[in-house]
Amino acid sequence: MTNGKEATEPIIVCRDVHKWFGDFHALKGVTTSVGRSEKVVILGPSGSGKSTFIRTINRLEEHQRGDIIVDDIELTNDVRNIDAIRREVGMVFQSFNLFPHLTVMNNITLAPMKVRHWPRAQAEEVALAFLERVGIPEQANKYPAELSGGQQQRVAIARALAMQPKIMLFDEPTSALDPEMIKEVLDVMRELATSGMTMIIVTHEVGFAREVADRVIMFDEGKIVEEAPPNDFFNNPQNDRAKLFLSQILD
Amino acid sequence: MASDHAEALVRPPRMSGGAAGWARENLFGTWYDAVLTVVCGTTVILALLFGLTWVFRDADWSVVSALGGRFVIGQYNIVAACPEQDCFWRPQAGLIMIVFLLGMGWGVARGGTARTAAIVVAVAAAAFAFLPYGLDEMGLDVRILLLACLPATALGWAVATYTPLGTPRRLVIMGVVAFVLALVLLRGVGWVPGLEPVSVIYWGGLMLNLLLAVVGITLSLPIGIALALGRRSSLPVVKLLCVVFIEVFRGVPLITLLFMSQTLVPLAFPEDFPVNSLARAAIIITLFSSAYMAENIRGGLQALHPGQAEAARALGLPGWQTTMLISLPQAIRNVIPAIVGQFISLFKDTTLVYIIGMLDVVEIGRVFIQGNQEFLDNGPELFVFLAIVFWIFTYSMSYVSKRVEHHLGVGQR
Repeated sequence: MTNGKEATEPIIVCRDVHKWFGDFHALKGVTTSVGRSEKVVILGPSGSGKSTFIRTINRLEEHQRGDIIVDDIELTNDVRNIDAIRREVGMVFQSFNLFPHLTVMNNITLAPMKVRHWPRAQAEEVALAFLERVGIPEQANKYPAELSGGQQQRVAIARALAMQPKIMLFDEPTSALDPEMIKEVLDVMRELATSGMTMIIVTHEVGFAREVADRVIMFDEGKIVEEAPPNDFFNNPQNDRAKLFLSQILD
Repeated sequence: MASDHAEALVRPPRMSGGAAGWARENLFGTWYDAVLTVVCGTTVILALLFGLTWVFRDADWSVVSALGGRFVIGQYNIVAACPEQDCFWRPQAGLIMIVFLLGMGWGVARGGTARTAAIVVAVAAAAFAFLPYGLDEMGLDVRILLLACLPATALGWAVATYTPLGTPRRLVIMGVVAFVLALVLLRGVGWVPGLEPVSVIYWGGLMLNLLLAVVGITLSLPIGIALALGRRSSLPVVKLLCVVFIEVFRGVPLITLLFMSQTLVPLAFPEDFPVNSLARAAIIITLFSSAYMAENIRGGLQALHPGQAEAARALGLPGWQTTMLISLPQAIRNVIPAIVGQFISLFKDTTLVYIIGMLDVVEIGRVFIQGNQEFLDNGPELFVFLAIVFWIFTYSMSYVSKRVEHHLGVGQR
């Protein structure tokens, strides 16, 4: 489970991706690919470009050089390509970003109804199925502010899944949660991983990375400095920067 | 278990009991508290004493009853405006349309504030039918049409409850239709006997203020939203146009704009320019208010967490849907107090049309006491009355906004 799965044909291909914020060079030539139903965990110190990198995959950040190809669609400035990719890529944010003016149910059904043009009944049926999958079907008619942080993040996962994406991006999904709520979110993500979803996860949860990841990528200063299966990565890091980072987070 | 239960029932410490205890605590806690209490208390009591004495003994309220219907419609029904006919029924028909729509609102909302509003307005209108005027001053037809507000409200409620017209969307459509109908009725149609045209220069009184306020309020919100979005647009030309518009209309006093609309337009356009003076005033007030509204809305948009739009975009919602379904609803909800403040300000600003010779509810009163020797000393009574009238309207707006905020759960979610 941890280690043996080979990347089949890649669903995401990144070649020499560069990104600047003004003069700040945030991504300095990132090249990697992700196979179908592969689980990739991205580690790295804050400011290393790991969040920026996964945000380029669904064009929340625009890359200025290099190529990103998602599910055989190249990310260009063509709005149709961007929208096509966003339909296939779900994203979960550190700060949940649920829509506070909509109920849990409407948070989940909004995109399927407006983007996929499903009738309301179908959208609600799917929404309820995903709420059951993340374990909170009884909260469907509440507003996000009435839920705990862990519940909100699970709704956010259900919201992304309801669009039936091929790829799920997780941008530090547990960093804003109290310790006792981290587990309930990680459990949902574990279950999702076993279902064969392609997942890219930016996280600091080392235990989760060991258990779920097929591959761990470490970012530092906008570059990939180490890329290995979790056993190799955690037990035998090659790069000095990776060794230092691991010694700091694993102590 | 019992001890657990006892623990759960520990209460916060009680304040020393009763009204005396409360007063000692809050009014006479220290010597300077006591001094402040005595000074303020004396001032309030004296003000109340003198105020109430003036209101109930010294004031001569006959100026209010002498003005009568002119408060409501200005000079609309004078002989010069309505030769050889009685036009009073036309604004009254407008009133009946309003209470009918309020009744429909009650039916659509199934009670709540809409019911309160419908009942209060209808009962107040009907109550005017019993004003102690002689039949020569206030005809039987006028009184009957006022009383008709009660069945009109009930009819509106029934229509909304028992016919397919009772949906919010249809109510809005009917509101627009009724507004146009009311304007046609007030303006008159040349070839219809009994509906001879009445020039807008005779429109006045509260009717004029409300007309300008309704136009301004209903149009300045959408225009303001468009300007706010335009100002945040990534298209440089759109952005520049919106910035220039907002800064020009915010930067010039309304009274100047109103004056310019009357003096510059005839210079720039041919004499038969089709937009009459009232419409020009309405346009100016609307645009002026839109500029402020745009900045209110923009403030609401800027307060939103960028993650909201990001989450919507990540779900695949296109930009305009993200704006319409995610950003704007939250932005508007957050700035309801500022928006209603702007509505109230707009309503009060409609009195400024006196500068272009229109006899709004304030100006008609001022002109009346200046032209009538016996009421020259009754300015205070007149303006106190006007203040109360304006306060009732603005407080109603404030109250409705508070109910809307409560309904939307502002501040709670």
